[in-house]
Amino acid sequence: MRKITIMLVFLLIAGVNFAFAQSRTITGKVTSAQDGMGIPGVTVMVKGTTIGTTTDIDGNYSFAVQPDHRTLIFRFVGMISQEIVIGEQSTINVVMEPDVLQMEEVVVTALGISKERKALGYSVQDVSSEELTRSGSSNLSTALQGKISGVEIKPSSGMPGASSQIIIRGARSFSGNNTPLYVVDGMPISSTADYSTGNSVTGADIANRAVDIDPNDIESINVLKGQAAAALYGIKASNGVIIITTKSGKGNKTGKPAISFSNFTSFDKVSRKPDYQTKYAQGSYGMNVPNTSFSWGPEINSLPDDPTYGGNSQGHPGMYYVPQLEAAGLDPWVTPQVYDNFGDYFDVGFTTTTSLNISQANDKGNIAFGIGNTTQDGIAPSTGMDRWNAKAAGETKLNNNWSMGFSSNYSRTSIDKLPAGNDAALAGVYAAPPNYDLAGIPTNSPTDPYSQIYYRSLTFDNPYWGASHNKFNEVTDRFFGNGFVEYSPYIAENMSIKTRYQLGTDVYTTHYQDIFEFGSRGRTGEMNNYGVTSQTINSLLTATFDWTINSDFNLTALIGNELNHRNRKFYDEYGTGFNFGGWPHIGNTKIQQADESQYQDRTVGFFGNLALDFRSMLFLNVTGRQDYVSTMPRDNNSFFYPSVSLGFVITELESLRDIPVLSFAKVRASYAEVGQAAEYYQNFFASPDYGGGFWGATPIQYPVDGISSYLSNNVQYDPNLKPQNTKSYELGAELKFFSNRLGVDYSYSNQLVTDQIFQVPIAASTGAAALVMNGGEIKTKAHEVVLYATPVVYRGFEWNITVNYSKIDNMVNELAPGVESIFLGGFVTPQVRAGIGSTFPVIYGSSYLRDDNGNIIVVDNPGAWNHGMPETGPPAVIGEVSPDFLLGVSNRFDYKGISLSATLDWKSGGQMYSGTNGLLDLYGVSKLTENRDETFVFEGVKPDGTPNDIVRGGPNDPDAYQDLVTNVLTNIDEYYIYDNSFLKLREVTLSYAIPKKLLNNVDLTVSVFARNLLLWTELPNFDPESSQGNNNMGGSFERFSMPQTSSYGFGINLNF
Amino acid sequence: MKMNTIIKYLAVPVLLLIMAGCSKDKLEEINVNKNNPLDVPSRLLITDVITKTAFSITGSDFAFYASVYTEHNVGIYNQMYNAEIRSAEPALATTYNNTWGSVYETLYNLKIIIDKTSDEGDEAGNYHTLGIAQVLTAYNLAILTDLMGDVPYTEALQPGVIFQPKLDKQEDLYNEVFRLLDEGIANMGKETTAAGLGTQDFLYGGDIGKWTQFAYGLKARYTARLAFRNGGKWEDVITFANQSFTSVADEAKFVYNGSSTNSPFYTFFIDRDYFGASTSLHNKLTQRNDPRDGVFFIPYPGTGSVEFAPNGAPSQVQGFYGISGVMSSTAPTYLLSYHELEFLKAEAYARLSGVASADAQAALEGALTAAFAKVGMDLDSTYWVDEVLPLFTADPVREIMVQKYISFFESEAVEAYNDIRRLKALGENFITLENPNNATQFPQRFTYGADDVTTNLNIADAYGNGSYVYTEKVWWAGGTR
Repeated sequence: MRKITIMLVFLLIAGVNFAFAQSRTITGKVTSAQDGMGIPGVTVMVKGTTIGTTTDIDGNYSFAVQPDHRTLIFRFVGMISQEIVIGEQSTINVVMEPDVLQMEEVVVTALGISKERKALGYSVQDVSSEELTRSGSSNLSTALQGKISGVEIKPSSGMPGASSQIIIRGARSFSGNNTPLYVVDGMPISSTADYSTGNSVTGADIANRAVDIDPNDIESINVLKGQAAAALYGIKASNGVIIITTKSGKGNKTGKPAISFSNFTSFDKVSRKPDYQTKYAQGSYGMNVPNTSFSWGPEINSLPDDPTYGGNSQGHPGMYYVPQLEAAGLDPWVTPQVYDNFGDYFDVGFTTTTSLNISQANDKGNIAFGIGNTTQDGIAPSTGMDRWNAKAAGETKLNNNWSMGFSSNYSRTSIDKLPAGNDAALAGVYAAPPNYDLAGIPTNSPTDPYSQIYYRSLTFDNPYWGASHNKFNEVTDRFFGNGFVEYSPYIAENMSIKTRYQLGTDVYTTHYQDIFEFGSRGRTGEMNNYGVTSQTINSLLTATFDWTINSDFNLTALIGNELNHRNRKFYDEYGTGFNFGGWPHIGNTKIQQADESQYQDRTVGFFGNLALDFRSMLFLNVTGRQDYVSTMPRDNNSFFYPSVSLGFVITELESLRDIPVLSFAKVRASYAEVGQAAEYYQNFFASPDYGGGFWGATPIQYPVDGISSYLSNNVQYDPNLKPQNTKSYELGAELKFFSNRLGVDYSYSNQLVTDQIFQVPIAASTGAAALVMNGGEIKTKAHEVVLYATPVVYRGFEWNITVNYSKIDNMVNELAPGVESIFLGGFVTPQVRAGIGSTFPVIYGSSYLRDDNGNIIVVDNPGAWNHGMPETGPPAVIGEVSPDFLLGVSNRFDYKGISLSATLDWKSGGQMYSGTNGLLDLYGVSKLTENRDETFVFEGVKPDGTPNDIVRGGPNDPDAYQDLVTNVLTNIDEYYIYDNSFLKLREVTLSYAIPKKLLNNVDLTVSVFARNLLLWTELPNFDPESSQGNNNMGGSFERFSMPQTSSYGFGINLNF
Repeated sequence: MKMNTIIKYLAVPVLLLIMAGCSKDKLEEINVNKNNPLDVPSRLLITDVITKTAFSITGSDFAFYASVYTEHNVGIYNQMYNAEIRSAEPALATTYNNTWGSVYETLYNLKIIIDKTSDEGDEAGNYHTLGIAQVLTAYNLAILTDLMGDVPYTEALQPGVIFQPKLDKQEDLYNEVFRLLDEGIANMGKETTAAGLGTQDFLYGGDIGKWTQFAYGLKARYTARLAFRNGGKWEDVITFANQSFTSVADEAKFVYNGSSTNSPFYTFFIDRDYFGASTSLHNKLTQRNDPRDGVFFIPYPGTGSVEFAPNGAPSQVQGFYGISGVMSSTAPTYLLSYHELEFLKAEAYARLSGVASADAQAALEGALTAAFAKVGMDLDSTYWVDEVLPLFTADPVREIMVQKYISFFESEAVEAYNDIRRLKALGENFITLENPNNATQFPQRFTYGADDVTTNLNIADAYGNGSYVYTEKVWWAGGTR
């Protein structure tokens, strides 16, 4: 590290070499061909150098040129660039034409290389700041939903800070990382969660680190979808790259500082509320049982007749006895009533996002400062998020050859959460008996705040008690940023060279706290303080050489080196058994366990890129990267990743150039290989862990009375591990018609991931549970279409449509010998897994017993309790998670400053395990169970193959329906599988840009917006975008998960 | 300054730095695991081997399901309810999978200990730890084969080498159990300079004499177990039992401290609440006016009286039926109790000499005294004289076995389950079970674990669709596998 510092100082000193030579001044004015007005902020550069200036407010410029400066380049966003030979002129006026075809749109590709869009041989897609923030979403990933093709974004819920998954072109790893690399201002940063939610059946969600990014500070996002696009990033690139450029003041008008201020405020509510039955009370088989979780009791209005609890026979006519009220010291006799326990619990959430950005550009560079805050109160009590972001960025020219700059970001994110699954805070809200006044009856004994009063046994906490006593919180402080110096000496008119060194860091600390207070679940509580400190250093050296060989050929070459080193420290303090309530501190627990682990990893890569352009028609790009990683076995720790791509602009062909309809056509093809490394270790011993299985808490905790023990770790490592490899090719075409009014961009890609690294489950009888080895193959075929059109442009009215279509088929080809499937999460059954010949992932669990024709077989055994009911069949794949296709449609209408935009999102196909839906039936609270007194014939066949005609239920067979639901269907996991196709009106925004002249040159835009406001889905009762887990099982498995939200709000945006 | 000069000054140190940063040595050094030991001495391994053997293998899931099949408890919710009504769970490979894994994990760590302490190992000469490891291996192997029949052993415990171990016959496994016990006893009898286990031994605090008694007690238990196959070596049972425990103080009992270690049945109630009071067991107690009835069962907290759950057909409802009164966070797990040993003796004497055997009666009285003490009671003389003795006189072995069955409530349910199956093989249906589903669906065994069913074709073949659990007895109970 010290060496690097010395080197940097040296670089800086060496840079101060001002050149003095004869120079003369050139002046001129740049005007627009459209209106003849001067254009401010046009970049005027000497070709092959970084020497230049920008035009002033009237479009005028002036600067000194050297004798060896021959050509000037004029560039402005949205205009066609021009090159003018200086010759003997001292005044150069330029008229710029608008670039309607966006032929010269520059996109940022791997490692900050800027390229004209048309030169690309692979697919990239960008999202502008305006698209990201127009609906006021405080979460980057949800703000991207429906706006990029080939990308599936799965939010886990609508809770503040909820984790979400972004997967580009399907999964490449069963159990490992499938999320793209995030690069902010050239610096790769962490975006994944440091803690997986594991099987995702207990505990609270863990946010992923993309949550630290404030969408309001983003200037643009570029998504490198394919491996060819990303291959220069090497081993980190297999999942694609999300390149984020923050607001830096670049491209601002020079001179005056630009200040922008924005505020978005929204109100959130549960997006979908389940339908409940309102007829039957708590109990079982028609009997009132005041402490059961079931609502299979008598009719609510007959409660006063109950022989035990009814008031009609006990001097309280029309009332019934509620023991929980007695326990609370209140009058236990109440009149039967139906309560909206779900509605009572959820409140209106509130989100406000404010950001302020000040930037200034001048002829030497630009500088920006920004600060932002997001404050969110969740819809559930004691949930919320508070995030502060601050940033500073700048870039300056030191002299003709040297420039330097920096980008720095600080964030502090604090999230209050609720647990789900088997720890679900909401279990008691979702499944509360309709006759129980959950919100009204006190949650605890009047004499002891830690003695809970609840309608059921304390395997779950009373949700109101939990909200006021338990705590699930995470706080992250984070800094990331980088500084760079650039050296670009003049070498020749037709050549340029640029050397850049960038040193960046990403440092954060997250502290998590999970507290089950004294009295939780009727016990003495437990707490867990844990967290991570992560420090990453990234050193990046690149040298770029650009050579216009002749009028036909242009060559760009790049070589470079990247070193990425990360240190992480995890700590964990676990305490059980508080001495007393009210002080949930680790020091108040009877038994404490502490653990700490330290990890470091390093990746060093050497890379090169060669791009050859022929007549702006043929573009060849070749890259190679050799990576060395520390997390693989010694003899298998270096690998080479190549890529090649070719773009062919057909419309540059002489014969096609002048077809009036077709403005632009390009075909492209690419091939790449990239990989993923494992986290390899020598086999070791570890302290035993007694969690899981039937256990809620940890029944055995070492050290036991001061004695420790270790066992051979039940996950072992294959010393012959090699990196997993992704080979992919991509074909695509881009067509534009009618002067860019209609365009289509299609890509087909094919990925084959071999030598998949994962914890291969091995037979327990071998003595270990899993072996980290290579063992599996997954194949993905993806079709992506982006369609954009401007159907109407008429007298200031403009209608734009963008359609993003993705069809991704992700198939598991093979697994290690003897392995049929890989467990990704869930319970013993049902679980989410990867299986051979199936799409990835699938839901596995017990099925209905079926005949060879697939009909459900019912029991034909008159007199048996389950006569006429289905039976549990063998475990099988009962659901496929991946959708058939995704379609996002954005419409935008503009008229004189008024803009209306709407994004529709359609997911077709796919299934999920909806535990809550099944459990609402089991508990007898769903609307479906309201007709429990009617007869039913279960659809299926009898064992002899004839259609089932066995009639059960009705007044003479009163137990049958409950038997069917609580004893039969509840054990058949397939019953809980639902299709979850949906069509969502993801966002609608109406905004009005108030004319400048009214406001003394201030840009003011006001908007109203709504998110997630209409939903059509096949999933009953709940929003399909509510699920468990921040890992590869995300989006497929739900059990008392947090609900999704709909938001309505308004925003203002002020620029002056 | 010339560019060449800059490159010279810049590029060389940078390249050197970077090349040094990715050398194989450097990268390997970075990847050193700082968080876990690569090796530990046997005494640090054996502690959790003992704990897992007691808590996970003897005390938890196996015992929970066995307590349903033996009608010590009634499964009234979720998985235990399914076991009660014989739906799904008894035939599913997932049901016993966690414990299946724990047994093999324990056997694998025992193998490491045995390798370490054997002649070639780095702790050669540590005979006592070697002997203890052999006894524990025998104990775990016996539990496994008792419940599951033929299981992998000779090809097992080689992770990454043999991926699909084949099955060994139960008869061979029992030979191995006796071999291990004999070798264990021999090793524990040797002189050693190695330090004793001391506080690392949660069972006996390193007392090698008690470990030896335990090994003999196991020989008595397993000799009786094979009665259907060995024609009844009851003299051997008595011989071995006499070399075993001499009082309750010697029994192999794993004690929980109620804070960092917690009893399985109690934790199961707190975490799951899946059991109700058994009508069948209640009936056996009331028939005998057994004073333990009032101790075994208590009302569900917050309810007034003990509601007994009907075996085989309870309502699936929590918070209604009575619960066990003997569970507590510190209720111990018995690997081999003193009362079991006395019952074994009583059975052996009674089988040899019937009512005439005063030894049988004395052993039964000793067993009952210990069994009452287990639940905090003194053996009531009225009960002994008026209720037990007449039944003993009428049919000594039957009463011994019924009393043994009652005394096993509830944590020793696995042994009760083994006894019921052994007696059935001998044609002695002394213990009347009331679950009507037993007519067609008495679980003759537990299934193999899903981790092997899904990855080991040998086990997948043996498992089939799981329905074998209702039809195929284990070898010592008269079956073939």
